[in-house]
Amino acid sequence: MFSKSKPMWGKKTKLKSSYDVVLIGGGLHSLATAYYLAKEHGITDVAIIEKNYIGYGGAGRNTAIVRANQRTQYNVPLYKEALDLWPVLTKELDYNLMFNNCGNLNLMHSEAAMNAARMTIATAQFHGVESHLIDAREAKELVPALNISEDITFPIHGAMFHPPGGVVRHDAVVWGLAKGAAKMGVEIHQQTEATGINTKNGKVTAVVTDRGVINTKQVLISAGGYSAALIHGFLGIKLPISVLTIQAMVTQPLKPILNHVVSSGAYHCYANQTLKGEIATGAHMDQWPNYTTLTTAHYIKHQAEALSEFLPALRGVRFMRIWGGLADMTPDMAPIMDGNDQVEGFFMDCGWGYFGFKSCSAVGRHMASFMATNTCPDILKPFALKRYQEHKLMGETAALVSYTPDN
Amino acid sequence: MMNRFNHLPTLKIDVSDKIPFTYKGKTYYGTKGDTIATALYANGVRIYARSLKYHRPRGLYSMDGECSNTMMEVNGIPNVRTETTALKPGMVVKEQNVKGSAENDLMGFIDKMDWAMPAGFYYDTMHKPAKIWPVAMKQIRKAAGIGKLAPDHHMPGKYDEIFPSCDVCVIGGGPAGMKAALAAAQKGLRVSIMEARPWLGGHFEYRSSEYISRQTHHERAVQLAKEVEKTENIRVFTHTANVGVYNNNLITGFQVGKESDSFTERYIEIRANSVVVATGCIERPLLFENNERPGVMQAGCALRLANTYGILPGKIAVFSIGHDLGLETAVALHDLGLSIPVIADIREDGQDPAMLKAVLDRKITILKGWVATEAHGGKQVKKVTIKSVDGTISKTFDCDVLVASAGFTPLTGPLVVNQAKLTYDNHTNFFLPTDLPKKMYAAGRLLGFENAKSIEASGHLAGLKAAYDCENCSIADLGEAKKAMENLPGPARGTKLVTAPVKGRKTFICFDEDTSIKNIKQSIDKGFDVPELIKRFSGAGLGPGQGGIPGHNLPLFAAKYQALPDIKIKPTTVRAPLVPTLIATYAGTNHTMFKRTPMDEMQRKDGGIFRNIGVWQRARYFSKDFTCKKEIENVRTNVGMLDGSTLGKFRIHGPDALNALQRVYVSDLSKIKEGRVKYTAMCNDDGCVIDDGVVIKRGENDYYFSTSTGRAGQTIEWIRYHTRYDNWNFAVINLTDAMGVINLSGPNARKVLEKVVDIDVSNEGFGFSEYKEFKISDTIPVRAMRLGFVGELSYELHVPSSYMKSVWLMLKEAGREFKIQNFGVEAQNVLRMEKCHIILGQESEQRTNLLDIGLGFLWSRKKTGCKTVGVAALAQAEKDNTRLKLVGFKMENNGRAPKDGSLIVDDRVRGYVCTARNSFSLNEAVGMALVEGDMSKIGTRLAFYEDECKGELIYGTVVQTPFYDPDGKRMKM
Amino acid sequence: MALTITCPICGKRNGYEFRYGGEEKGPRPDEKDLTPESWCDYVHMNQCVAGVQQEWWFHRDGCGSWFTIFRDTTTNLEKETPEAKE
Repeated sequence: MFSKSKPMWGKKTKLKSSYDVVLIGGGLHSLATAYYLAKEHGITDVAIIEKNYIGYGGAGRNTAIVRANQRTQYNVPLYKEALDLWPVLTKELDYNLMFNNCGNLNLMHSEAAMNAARMTIATAQFHGVESHLIDAREAKELVPALNISEDITFPIHGAMFHPPGGVVRHDAVVWGLAKGAAKMGVEIHQQTEATGINTKNGKVTAVVTDRGVINTKQVLISAGGYSAALIHGFLGIKLPISVLTIQAMVTQPLKPILNHVVSSGAYHCYANQTLKGEIATGAHMDQWPNYTTLTTAHYIKHQAEALSEFLPALRGVRFMRIWGGLADMTPDMAPIMDGNDQVEGFFMDCGWGYFGFKSCSAVGRHMASFMATNTCPDILKPFALKRYQEHKLMGETAALVSYTPDN
Repeated sequence: MMNRFNHLPTLKIDVSDKIPFTYKGKTYYGTKGDTIATALYANGVRIYARSLKYHRPRGLYSMDGECSNTMMEVNGIPNVRTETTALKPGMVVKEQNVKGSAENDLMGFIDKMDWAMPAGFYYDTMHKPAKIWPVAMKQIRKAAGIGKLAPDHHMPGKYDEIFPSCDVCVIGGGPAGMKAALAAAQKGLRVSIMEARPWLGGHFEYRSSEYISRQTHHERAVQLAKEVEKTENIRVFTHTANVGVYNNNLITGFQVGKESDSFTERYIEIRANSVVVATGCIERPLLFENNERPGVMQAGCALRLANTYGILPGKIAVFSIGHDLGLETAVALHDLGLSIPVIADIREDGQDPAMLKAVLDRKITILKGWVATEAHGGKQVKKVTIKSVDGTISKTFDCDVLVASAGFTPLTGPLVVNQAKLTYDNHTNFFLPTDLPKKMYAAGRLLGFENAKSIEASGHLAGLKAAYDCENCSIADLGEAKKAMENLPGPARGTKLVTAPVKGRKTFICFDEDTSIKNIKQSIDKGFDVPELIKRFSGAGLGPGQGGIPGHNLPLFAAKYQALPDIKIKPTTVRAPLVPTLIATYAGTNHTMFKRTPMDEMQRKDGGIFRNIGVWQRARYFSKDFTCKKEIENVRTNVGMLDGSTLGKFRIHGPDALNALQRVYVSDLSKIKEGRVKYTAMCNDDGCVIDDGVVIKRGENDYYFSTSTGRAGQTIEWIRYHTRYDNWNFAVINLTDAMGVINLSGPNARKVLEKVVDIDVSNEGFGFSEYKEFKISDTIPVRAMRLGFVGELSYELHVPSSYMKSVWLMLKEAGREFKIQNFGVEAQNVLRMEKCHIILGQESEQRTNLLDIGLGFLWSRKKTGCKTVGVAALAQAEKDNTRLKLVGFKMENNGRAPKDGSLIVDDRVRGYVCTARNSFSLNEAVGMALVEGDMSKIGTRLAFYEDECKGELIYGTVVQTPFYDPDGKRMKM
Repeated sequence: MALTITCPICGKRNGYEFRYGGEEKGPRPDEKDLTPESWCDYVHMNQCVAGVQQEWWFHRDGCGSWFTIFRDTTTNLEKETPEAKE
């Protein structure tokens, strides 16, 4: 159990001059793609190129919530598969991903919201995903700290309760996948920056890095918030993406007080208690694109105001750390997964906004299949870039779109 | 309770004033001026808590609350930093994270189990077999966390917020900060100082050593504080911890209220033109075995216990220090009666000669180049082993206190949270701030200065630089201040020692997470080789005190262990809040704000049940029957009144008013006639409907138009956005709050209205779709339209808000003979649904375009050259039959209505129900749904899948719309 | 971060008074020449510049005007010209 420590994802090696596949970005989607390329397709001559260190971006900054109660039939099966994979991966990787399937409670604050939730719940149930509409009193039974009185800004009418969702230890997923991929031969090159992609006759020929040129016929850009800038910079392909900063924070650790993930659209807030006892909470995004991961005074105050209303007991606990990460938002709040379209051999997996964590395992698996077979799996087809010019937005959000910056 | 000094000039306590409090269920007494921790210390308490993981005993260590050692539950609030919290009468103080007591913790045995818990051990355990994980997880959750909070905890106290601005904000009220503030203030600027302690003075405040001849540091602090306090343009916030610094110089903090203040704590957000950071230093924790055993404390802590709080820390103290403050502390405490068998000074040389002489004069043994390697004693220090720094010779001394400090480390948090970079400085052994953001300066000890004059001069210079940014200081003044610095001693040399010569199994780099240096080595061996990764993997710096204890030692140790030639390694990112801050404090006053219509009060009197709808509060129901049967029947058969004041209302006028309307509305508005009402819609660039409403022409290039409630706030920016390149000349005015709206509907509406107004309201005089302006009683101007949203004879009266109540009462009075009734938003919702009049957001979603919801007739295809928003997309998407289309349906076999949000399915999801009701007016269940195009034909059978239906579908059929009064006779009568 | 935006009419103000309005992409294209590609390019596509970009802002809680500024998206600070980069 406690054998002598050795580097989990292999010793630092030299960058070779060619690989079968190069994955740009050392986040979860890349790591999962690499893992499944090796595991399910026997493709192990793979290099992951990461400018910083693995898990530096969104992979290490999200609040680790997982769920499969999305709104549309295109998303639900994908997220369901991802949710079902956590225990499987824990076993396969022999690494405790600490899946706490505590259930998610999404609060509803009006009759209209309850009706909208019913559509989402019916969609989940239709696809065999457990999800229920519960009233305010039932919600209070699940979360005794909840304030269900009328005298708050957004009184709680009920909630969408999704028992199989929960929280996974995000860092563990990064390290576990890295360990699993490295074991099968994938090379992870940290502190290595991709600076370009070479093409010839509409085909990928190489990836240029600050440590040299790598010849390859297939490259995936899955670099979280930086994807859109890289794809535009390397290949001149513009994407319908706005990169925003999303913030999250934790309180000092407490003994158990919250046993479920609680979230509220009206309050722009989610909260859950980590296994360490901290209340992790976040959700808001400032609505202008930027690549800083800076936090704001405005937001930590907003979060305190929101929690003071619907979880008032938490007024007695202290925030101890706030951080920011990047969310690459698309107009329809659904990702872009595409390949072999604009340039042969070029694949992209981006536009995940703040859903990249919950989907990573399943998406990595399907992207690996896409790259290995050069055939897009059916489940990924609706997510192609072309949908925007075909006026086929995904409908993951019901609310009317605001014209900026998302549209 | 021990005797306390009462004669020292530095004291902040009043020993004659006893403060009672409860600790572990018994009453104890502290002294006025005590913190909770000092009161406990004076009562003999040495073990305040047990550590998170190993349940090791923990005591008073630093006095500024950098770690969780002295966090306790106070008055039901967990994790209170007792060393910085003032004692108040009647406080109830409890220990945290103990089974039994902090003194005798039944969980203490875990300390011996550390071999089973290497860094990251939980990732490698507890998942095999899978079924043990849920069980293990429960145990982890129980063991994790330190404080307890009841789910129904009610936070007492008043929380306030202020948002002042100033020219120069100084963070830190020590000598450098005060000099900076004075320098800027003397230039005529408005200055704010934020000081975390309850008083100004910084590290001068508690030191009785000599500043200049015949003046102590303490006296100098008092002198400067007096000067600051009498300067009118300096605003002093004491007991105010700085918690955040953001670019463009936004500074946040919170102030702890004094007894005389109206607040318990208050959030302070300062916008400053320039900022001086003079936060000084804390001491760098000395790393050796059992370095956090109760009885081990830093020099400043020992000195402040005595000089500020009148408590001698113990009887016999060994010193293991690396700075002159350590020597000064030894001298001061010796003179107060502490026995000091030995001072181990890490430094071979470089001590302040005067201090060294003072030590030797007192015959205290000092060993240069020595350091403590292990504290002995199960729960408290009883003995200390010291060794020469190379580890070759050792000695052991009995003691009850070990004053331990590796030197200083700067408090650079306010700078680095605002993007300053840190670079390792070989001379000071500090990570010093470089690349400071614009208009931000550092001063004082945090730059490495130890000489009192240099500290003050650097503060003065920084204050002038800040003034220069405000254009209130000359280059010559700056030059003079710089020159003054050159003649003073520069930064002091810092000790380089990273750890005492130990293996490190019980040498803790982070107290809060019980991370030992052995754990750090394990992390690095596994590939977690930079501090940011070490932190995540080992937990160091993730606890309640964040990086306060490990912040400086972690990068130094990581560099040393990996034998990196130069220290390029950086400390982990410092994040706000720099001091843990109560959610109650951040929330401040937390007002909830909603807009209320002019009819708010009257509708409440009439029994309206209100809901928050967007920015408004509106009456949704007028009885507890949420089906609204009576309200609906009253409108269908009699007459009802609805408050529609939340509708968006606008005037647009000027030469290009029509051009602007043509840009955003899909209809051709050049054709509309005065006196008519034109219903139309706005789309976004995707052709998706974002708003509908009516447009009225009141004159040439002068229009009045309405928007839905939700869009009122964005309409002006929308119109201006889509015309921003055109340089058009028009003005749009938002009249939403200036005008109220009364909707008078039902077959008897005319009979009511004609009693109130003078104009002809007959069907001939005021027909459907017509618009009239008139005055009631020659006074009240009314804009009236005949519309039919609910499907009955209906008048919409737009009235200036100030007259709304009068008109409402007149209509009510006039309607009394007909038994006129209020109706609310939900009744309106059902009434309009029966007519298949849509509500955007309910019958549409983000991706629903104009054609999808059957409003294609509003689109004027002949209108060209207007670049109308959305029409290009409509033309492109027109032939796509896979889109969701809005249809009306009835239920089969007179069945009940499906619930809103139910799905329409075959082998997959084909659409969903927007609104469906068991209609009282029609005596059957009807509804509207969005379904895929191929299912939108009349007669298509729809299968409804409701939540919790367990596969039991119900069925309906697509029918012609509208359901109610299909020819629209009733609204035109 | 604490964004400030300089409104041409009201001067430098707190960023939360404003609403972001997208990258500067030039005037609305003429509708009759629009293909799905060129329409999509104008409406949806962004360059996502990591650096200085010209962009639109609306002074919502102020004078109500739309205007453009240059801002460095990697620092959130305004720049006077497109080239300015420290």
